[in-house]
Amino acid sequence: MRVFSGQVPWLLQRLTALFLIAALLVIFIALLFGVLPDYASWRAFVTSSHGATIVFVSYLAVCTHAWIGVRDVLLDYVKPLPLRLLLLMAISVLLAATAIRLLLVLGAALFV
Amino acid sequence: MHLRIYRYDPHSGSAPTMQDYTVEPEAGDRKLLDLLVRVKSVDDSLSFRRSCREGICGSDGMNINGRNGLACLTPIDGLAEPVTIRPLPGLPVVRDLIVDMTQFFTHYSAIKPYLIEKGPPPERERLQTPVDREKLDGLYECILCACCSTFCPSFWWNPDKFLGPAALLQAYRFIVDSRDGATAERLDYLDDVYRLFRCRSIMNCTEVCPKGLSPSHAIEQIRQALLSRSL
Ligand code: SF4
Ligand code: SF4
Ligand code: FES
Repeated sequence: MRVFSGQVPWLLQRLTALFLIAALLVIFIALLFGVLPDYASWRAFVTSSHGATIVFVSYLAVCTHAWIGVRDVLLDYVKPLPLRLLLLMAISVLLAATAIRLLLVLGAALFV
Repeated sequence: MHLRIYRYDPHSGSAPTMQDYTVEPEAGDRKLLDLLVRVKSVDDSLSFRRSCREGICGSDGMNINGRNGLACLTPIDGLAEPVTIRPLPGLPVVRDLIVDMTQFFTHYSAIKPYLIEKGPPPERERLQTPVDREKLDGLYECILCACCSTFCPSFWWNPDKFLGPAALLQAYRFIVDSRDGATAERLDYLDDVYRLFRCRSIMNCTEVCPKGLSPSHAIEQIRQALLSRSL
């Protein structure tokens, strides 16, 4: 598998999609059967070390999935290379910033 | 019947227009191509390609009431009037319904549409088991009419870089051929952000192929071949 192939992003997009479908399903079932009945129990789950890891990994999957999706749209519609690079950078920075913020929030809840 | 046909001569300097024609089908007229031939007998300035008039040569691909198809395979019965006929979308117009297929055939030749030798040539012909031969069904029938590629949004956005469903179907036809010795090189060539992976499985290609083939299925098979190779 070459690193700069067309296949790697394609595969990543599908794998993250499967992961997110599974995650959504689990959340849905949890809601349906009242596994975590109230705000306090959700908060306790998210601020546990397992919960925080799951939330953060899921968000990384969202970011990866979103970045590849946006990249695909840009490859189709934005032809000038400098503009395309700028937009790709902008979306990368934006996603990275939200991920870092999530990390800080989870970290704060976990350790403070 | 009322036909509304796209007219354009790039050398004239004037913009494309839609011209109305009224023709009555005569006994024995079955397909849209019969009507176009009647129009041409009245107005010989109308230009379109056709040859075999039976869905074999692939030359009369056009956009008929918003859908790509072969005029010679499109029944007159059931066509909504006015029948709006335009050239295949996404390719430069040479004149009226004739498009410049250079880009299309550049992609076709890029996938090396011929068997590449595995080793020393055999004494006699290259044999293939019936099972291996069956794998070519649904692929070898392609007549390169370009109805699929020019109906593919991914091809419209990146016609110079995305190979398009027709070339990809042909690529798979050689990947799956037991007599071909260049499968790895073929897959290497296709493993590219543009060439293969611009396909978004929109499936317009399969929807529109006048020969009933499924380029999108062939594309899926290429992706699977790439996947099983890397695992
Ligand atoms: S796959 Fe079908 S639509 Fe596409 S070029 Fe071949 S025959 Fe024409
Ligand atoms: S399935 Fe792929 S090749 Fe076929 S029309 Fe859609 S994007 Fe184009
Ligand atoms: S005239 Fe040959 S395919 Fe229609």
